[in-house]
Amino acid sequence: MQAAPNTEALDQQFKEFIQALKSAVGSAMPHLKDDPKVVEKAIGDCKEILDVVLEGKVKEWLS
Amino acid sequence: MFTDKIDLKDFEKQDPEYQDLLRRVLAIQADCEIGGPNLYVKNILPNAPTKLDQLIVARTAAEEMDHYRKMARLAGDIGVDVSYVLSRSNQERYVEAFRGEIQAWEDYAVFGFLIDRVGRYQLEEFIGCTYLPLARVVEDADVIREEEGHIDFGTNKTAEYAAKGDEWKARIQKAVDYWYVKGLDMFGNSKSYRSERYMYWGLKRRPNAVARQQYKDEVDALISKMDLKIPDPNKGRLYT
Repeated sequence: MQAAPNTEALDQQFKEFIQALKSAVGSAMPHLKDDPKVVEKAIGDCKEILDVVLEGKVKEWLS
Repeated sequence: MFTDKIDLKDFEKQDPEYQDLLRRVLAIQADCEIGGPNLYVKNILPNAPTKLDQLIVARTAAEEMDHYRKMARLAGDIGVDVSYVLSRSNQERYVEAFRGEIQAWEDYAVFGFLIDRVGRYQLEEFIGCTYLPLARVVEDADVIREEEGHIDFGTNKTAEYAAKGDEWKARIQKAVDYWYVKGLDMFGNSKSYRSERYMYWGLKRRPNAVARQQYKDEVDALISKMDLKIPDPNKGRLYT
């Protein structure tokens, strides 16, 4: 069975997006009460990553 | 009734109907998984009530993206490129509930309570299914556990706002009224020929009407417990 083109590349790209998001959330959770700057930065990072994902420019990601 | 267990290497040897149904269900499932974040991230991530809520929204989106990734991988492995669902507009989504935008926090809460719960029902359909790679994905502890987390968050927030009474209770009731019928519709037509074929090929476990009724019984009990009104199940429905 031949896989669809870019199956592996898309899978890898999504793993990177997901890892980056989970890492940002994980870095902020312990600091909700003691370090607003860390939390703010993490939320900003998540927004940035999600903006890219939801824009859906797949060809640009995989080029 | 087809009961063989099929792995990727044997997919091409299967009946064309089996192949078509599997391709179709994976494309729809992938579209639904990424459809959620497309509904709520834009407005809810920046405007959630607390920083913790904002982080939970981001984590939820990451988990739904991972579910998309897993479905896209399964589809890609059988030759179906579902990357087109990443760039389509919300209005083009396969399932009506995902065609719009969530603007308000109470809608995000009820979306978790009611629509993510339908998502759990849909994923449960594939437990023990005849296509082993799909069965493995949903039988892995992560996917359903994560979906349960989204449902619990939404259910707890819905109950919390209902308990506040007055304006908040009215707002959450309005959101329940809106999403309740969309949730019921997500199970599709009760007399669907395709639904019967999915069951024949062992790709789904329950008829649409049975799954819908089980879901309805579950959510009706929860809505009553929250002292909210159970919406009219027939008002505004697209499928019965």
